[in-house]
Amino acid sequence: MMSLPFLLFACGLGAAWLRQRAVAMGFWAAGVVVMLVLFRIHASSVVNIAL
Amino acid sequence: MSGDLARLLNALGLIAIALLLLLAFIDQLWFGELPCPLCILQRMAFIAAGFGLALNLIFGSKPSHYGLMILGATAGAAIALRQIVLHIVPGTGAYGEPILGLHLYTWSFVFFALIIIGSALMLLGDRQFARVEPLPKRLKPLPLFALSLFLALVVGNVISTLALCGLGNCPDEPQGYLLLQDYFGSNITP
Repeated sequence: MMSLPFLLFACGLGAAWLRQRAVAMGFWAAGVVVMLVLFRIHASSVVNIAL
Repeated sequence: MSGDLARLLNALGLIAIALLLLLAFIDQLWFGELPCPLCILQRMAFIAAGFGLALNLIFGSKPSHYGLMILGATAGAAIALRQIVLHIVPGTGAYGEPILGLHLYTWSFVFFALIIIGSALMLLGDRQFARVEPLPKRLKPLPLFALSLFLALVVGNVISTLALCGLGNCPDEPQGYLLLQDYFGSNITP
């Protein structure tokens, strides 16, 4: 699961290399969304500090 | 700023990001410091930011590509900040050994901030966006080197993360390569 965003970014770079800009940006967006979901999963605990 | 200067700076920027990813790999493979989930997420964010530079090298400079960089670096800065806050209270421990007085996640935050500032500065150079002649199909050596190195490190991270975490989520404090343990049935640690 954690390797999925890397895979999406790699596919995006591949698409860019093949001059498919819209597809590349789509892979980038999907990668970022999965990355943020994973961040949400891994940042679930409350940090006890006063800001 | 001319288009050629922008392309040179983009290539150098992408090499700099690739070097950061390479240093993280050296820390992992040579010094045996396995990356935590937040560390892996920061690597992703560096790649998300570098993606904009890669698009600039292939398609020419566009404001939207710098937008991708700023968004990726902002996400990365948030992830790094979360990890800084986790360890900011004295006595709450830290993850990994400090380098030049700062932990890797603190350096990450600094570099994400620099990427955001650098992108904003690059956006000030309007002339790079006014290119009329089409870009050559064949990339010059420096952009080709930067893109090849970056792509190799992205693929390397796919393999490394798959080996480290398997198909599920990564453990908070990884002790070994989970996929290899599952496959070979032994505890393989760095």
